[in-house]
Amino acid sequence: MSTRIRTLNTCAIAVASTFLCWNVAARAQGTADPTIQLRVLRAAASALGQIRMSDIGMANPPLPLVDVVTTMEIAAKGTVYIDGKPTNATYTAAFAYIPAAMRVDIKGEGGGNAVHTIQTVREEYAWNESERGAGLIPGKGTATPAMASAKSRLLQLWILPYGVVKAAIAAGDKTTISTAQGSTVITFPLSGALAGVTVTATLDAKNFITKVVTTPDNAAATDLVYEAEYSDYADHGEILTDVKSPGHIVEKLAGKPLLDVKATKVDADNPYLVFPVPPNVKAARAQAGSSR
Amino acid sequence: MRLFRFCCIAAAAVLLVSSAVLVAQDARPVARHPTNAAPKPTGTTPRTPDGHPDLTGVWNGKGDSLTGVPNQLENSGVLVDDEYSAHDIATGTKIAAFPRPAGRTFGTVATAGAEGERAASLLRRVGSNRPIYKPEYWDEVRRLDDNANEEDPSNRCMPAGIPRAAIPQSITQLPDRFIFIYPGQGGLIATQTMYRMIPADGRQHTPLQKLDGSFTGEGIAHWDGDTLVVDSWGFNTNTWFDQVGGYFHSENMHTIERFHREGNTLTWTVTVEDPDVLLQPWTSTPRVAVLNRDPHAMLPEGLPCSERDLGLTVTKEHH
Repeated sequence: MSTRIRTLNTCAIAVASTFLCWNVAARAQGTADPTIQLRVLRAAASALGQIRMSDIGMANPPLPLVDVVTTMEIAAKGTVYIDGKPTNATYTAAFAYIPAAMRVDIKGEGGGNAVHTIQTVREEYAWNESERGAGLIPGKGTATPAMASAKSRLLQLWILPYGVVKAAIAAGDKTTISTAQGSTVITFPLSGALAGVTVTATLDAKNFITKVVTTPDNAAATDLVYEAEYSDYADHGEILTDVKSPGHIVEKLAGKPLLDVKATKVDADNPYLVFPVPPNVKAARAQAGSSR
Repeated sequence: MRLFRFCCIAAAAVLLVSSAVLVAQDARPVARHPTNAAPKPTGTTPRTPDGHPDLTGVWNGKGDSLTGVPNQLENSGVLVDDEYSAHDIATGTKIAAFPRPAGRTFGTVATAGAEGERAASLLRRVGSNRPIYKPEYWDEVRRLDDNANEEDPSNRCMPAGIPRAAIPQSITQLPDRFIFIYPGQGGLIATQTMYRMIPADGRQHTPLQKLDGSFTGEGIAHWDGDTLVVDSWGFNTNTWFDQVGGYFHSENMHTIERFHREGNTLTWTVTVEDPDVLLQPWTSTPRVAVLNRDPHAMLPEGLPCSERDLGLTVTKEHH
């Protein structure tokens, strides 16, 4: 082989290697390329049944696909860890994305004692209810402000698969797509009250979100360190909607188990779920704000 | 050496071309700005001799229609901005949108695949502007909505009632009264033809106790500047106050409708007060109707309601 040809071969290999290295590096670091981002997020949203054609009646020009998940309720049974202790419980999460709100109702038996908690959050307000809707009408139940839990509770909403898709889209060019061990990984920062928290979500081959991990900038904020695993996706609704929800949910908080439940019923037809803030909770927040 | 230099240049070129390709991919296709927003008003607002806006005319659709078909996405409180974005009208919250797949241009028919299936029910419930009931009625609202195929009064050929009927398809404005006509829609939304004769002569409401509840209630009109206000009470409880949602009401419901004409558009909102069941008054998302461009337009015959055997209903899926 002549020197000239050897040099040519070497150069060709160098060119190919350069391109390959650059490509691999880009994938490992993650890309914010909007085309790739759009394709991955659209695939994730589509797998969940989260987007639908929006022209009821025939619009001209035809309307785009729109995110249709606004409210949902997931009823499940399994193990819920209350103060670190495993409890057989029914777990019902009712949630909404406009405005961001969630009510988690847990009924169980722990150490022979009946346990019933209702933890609610709506945007910056968090409170515990003695019964659903407590504190809205004088004399009907008690709403106890729990403002310190607002961020942690809100985060539970945004680590749900639908929340991941919504928040990743909202993060715009701050969302990056990468691959790890053959899986697609979406990474993005949250904003608003949850600014400083980074979410990392892993997709399976069918584009379902199977794992979500949150990492706060402030390592001391352990109540914002969630790890969730989702599996057994299906349309679990009595009213079929084609919206897919995880049949099995496992969550950890700061590395400790939080819940391991299997869905018994899901209402994904944007059911009537409302989260009005009780007057005393509003007052408590206003007071806390003025005393800062 | 020359060859080596050539190869270095080639490597640089490959990187440059790759970057250029990515940059080119960055550029989203030029949006066609598809939107369900109401058209901007055009023309002047005609006035009657007494100086008020003249609402007389045939208004396209049944108050919730812009082009003869219901603009149900906007009615549910969602506006599409373009191919990549929509928003919730009540809160301004962004809602994600994606360009629709190429070639699938026929609304929600089956050819659209899963992304077109079962869309109507979800889309009508996307908007956040929902009435807030007292907590003891939350389950009942949900039960009615879940079982709407059987529970929705319109599926039993009941008149839509007020405020569900929204914008009348025909308005006749006289100095001392208004005549509103809401033709029956037939088909799936099987409401009956309905009319209202609404005095605007300064009279007061009949005391509620003396009224027999009706589907349209006792409406009395007055002008608030250039906005027509129709104040109604005296309803029966056989209607829901919106197209979907199971939003029942008591016989103490009080509605305040506001009609505002600007050029060839008519904007309607309603505030519903019902302290028996609502935690607070609820105001609808504005709806817009467009004046029929034909000055000689006449109302077609209202379609009859086809009663159906609800006992044979086997699904809770919503239409």
